[in-house]
Amino acid sequence: MTPSIAIVHVHNPHWRGIRLWIPLFLLWIPLLLLAPFILLAVVVACLVGRVNPWSAISTFWALLCALPGTDVHVSSQQNLVLVRIL
Amino acid sequence: MNEHRRQILDMLAAGKITAEEAERLLTAIEPGAGNSTGAAAGSVGSDATDTTTKPRRKYLRVLVEADETMTGLKGGPTTVNVRVPMQLLRAGVRLAGLIPVQAHDQLDQAFSKHGVPITLSQIKPENLEELIDHLEDLTVDVDGKDGNVTKVKVFCE
Repeated sequence: MTPSIAIVHVHNPHWRGIRLWIPLFLLWIPLLLLAPFILLAVVVACLVGRVNPWSAISTFWALLCALPGTDVHVSSQQNLVLVRIL
Repeated sequence: MNEHRRQILDMLAAGKITAEEAERLLTAIEPGAGNSTGAAAGSVGSDATDTTTKPRRKYLRVLVEADETMTGLKGGPTTVNVRVPMQLLRAGVRLAGLIPVQAHDQLDQAFSKHGVPITLSQIKPENLEELIDHLEDLTVDVDGKDGNVTKVKVFCE
């Protein structure tokens, strides 16, 4: 399952703070349109770097699919930074 | 398993055993019931002592608690709570396998220079699984100035 939403929450007492819900699934639209070019660029880069293109693509796909569930939460008494990938 | 359950229920229906005996027998044939003496004990024991049916760990958690003197930031202690899916770690190890062999030496030297003496070519997915198996609950106390301590806790869940 690829990541669908990223939540970024930054809070600071001296600043308004932000709470963003980033719909990552919308990135699929431009990615699918550009897929042939991206694929070509990846294959060329792999051949230049002497890396098996198939294993490179499968590894990056595995990384992408493993991202949901990642959660980083840093807080002090008044400051908060939260990044969550769903 | 279903056949045993049906036999017990048949015996109960036929009046050969009492409801209490049937309950005891049903508890006995439940998976994982062999390590406990009863249903209540089984529910507690399955978490704490049962090593044969260990649940597959899904996340690596890193918790850091540092006070002001360690971080240099005002406003009380700082806590860091990171949850990383195990699949991401496994994929990361696979990513290391993509690094060209000719770059390994340079990377190893760079890691050593920064105090991380590892050999990239020796990192394999099997090593990660072994590490995860042994990483039950690791707590590291980092001593700072004036006797302050930063607690770093690493565990899998």
